[in-house]
Amino acid sequence: MGPLIVYDAISSNTNLLLAFFIGIGFGFVLEQSGFSSSRKLAGMFYGYDTTVLKVFFTAAIVAMTGLLFFSLFGWMNLDVVYVNPTYLTSAIAGGVIMGAGFILGGFCPGTSFCAAAIGKIDAFVFIGGLFIGIFIFTEGYPLWEGFHNAGFMGSPRVNEMIGLSQGVFAFLLILAAFGMFWAGEWAERKFAGNYR
Amino acid sequence: MSTPPVTHSGTNPVTGNQNINVMQKINPRILLAIILIPMGLIIAMVPEDTTGSRKVSTEQILQEISSGSQFVSPDEVAGMIVENNPVLQLIDVRSSNEFENFSLPGAVNIPLTDILSAEWRDILDQDVRINVFYSNGSVHANEAWLLTRQQGYRNNYVLQGGLNYWMEAIVNPDPPSNLSPDEEFARYDFRRAVNSALGGETVERTVEAPPPPPMPSIRPRERATVVQGGC
Repeated sequence: MGPLIVYDAISSNTNLLLAFFIGIGFGFVLEQSGFSSSRKLAGMFYGYDTTVLKVFFTAAIVAMTGLLFFSLFGWMNLDVVYVNPTYLTSAIAGGVIMGAGFILGGFCPGTSFCAAAIGKIDAFVFIGGLFIGIFIFTEGYPLWEGFHNAGFMGSPRVNEMIGLSQGVFAFLLILAAFGMFWAGEWAERKFAGNYR
Repeated sequence: MSTPPVTHSGTNPVTGNQNINVMQKINPRILLAIILIPMGLIIAMVPEDTTGSRKVSTEQILQEISSGSQFVSPDEVAGMIVENNPVLQLIDVRSSNEFENFSLPGAVNIPLTDILSAEWRDILDQDVRINVFYSNGSVHANEAWLLTRQQGYRNNYVLQGGLNYWMEAIVNPDPPSNLSPDEEFARYDFRRAVNSALGGETVERTVEAPPPPPMPSIRPRERATVVQGGC
């Protein structure tokens, strides 16, 4: 029965070791999918390359379907899987900052390390900026502590909020993902000439 | 909803490679759709209760009950209260009247009858704090623990012996006899220190005027052990 760490099937050290290997695998797949190129990443915002959307949504729906089936078979207790708590205000503000940084810098935090790993100089500059941001956030924390903690909603799940069963919601999300893939590929064809 | 994408790009990107086998000819998106959409359909049709295997097995609960792992001793709780340990969350499962008359410091009142209400779920079902249920004895607190445990909630515990034993052990501890081992004195001293830290002087003065004089000679040693235990 999973999650392995919660049910003491593995120690927390083994957990970290597994995370280490999974992290390396994740980085490798990111790099191989072309995520170390900020041109490719920025393509998402201009429409000429929607690889980001396709890779991440594929990962999300595959993992979601896998987890739901694991739960169905009694291999995984979804109720003890950690769900990141929602702080609505900071989630919105963070999304805006992260999106703006993504467009300006051409990376998101994970892919910047991926690109740095293959020696991209712009990625090192991006990471420098990232650490400056972390420094400002932590040192100035008392100033925005209230804002940071505003709009706390616990750990809601979208399907519970809109009153759907998790299975139906998952199915709709899969359909929505394929709809987006289709729209993305349409956009790729439409904007292909403009930006390459 | 799924059909338009299939027809649309099935014709498009693969036109260049006609010689390769069928698997490679299929657009990866369509292949993914062929696998994931039926799986999504199955998941959508499976009843929710089967999917959400939230409940802990009765065997596991029985094992926990027989090992008594849900109990926390009054000394541990008292120590955490005095340290102002932010992890501790005391939960009073008695009625609100009783709660207003007397409660332990920092406790919230969740009457046993309300324990399953959605209002309290965020408090009971979390993995950050240590919830300690208490009632007058330990029966109601234990019932609260059992109900929440069956929901699969973790980090909930029961104050051993309830408030009755708390009064006996912490507020009104019996002084150890002169022949008791050092640990007994240490525990007694600790309990009295806790009690005064919790503002229990009135009780201490009325009931415990006699105990201090009898054992002045042992005092230094007691302190040393107390510090060891406290840290």
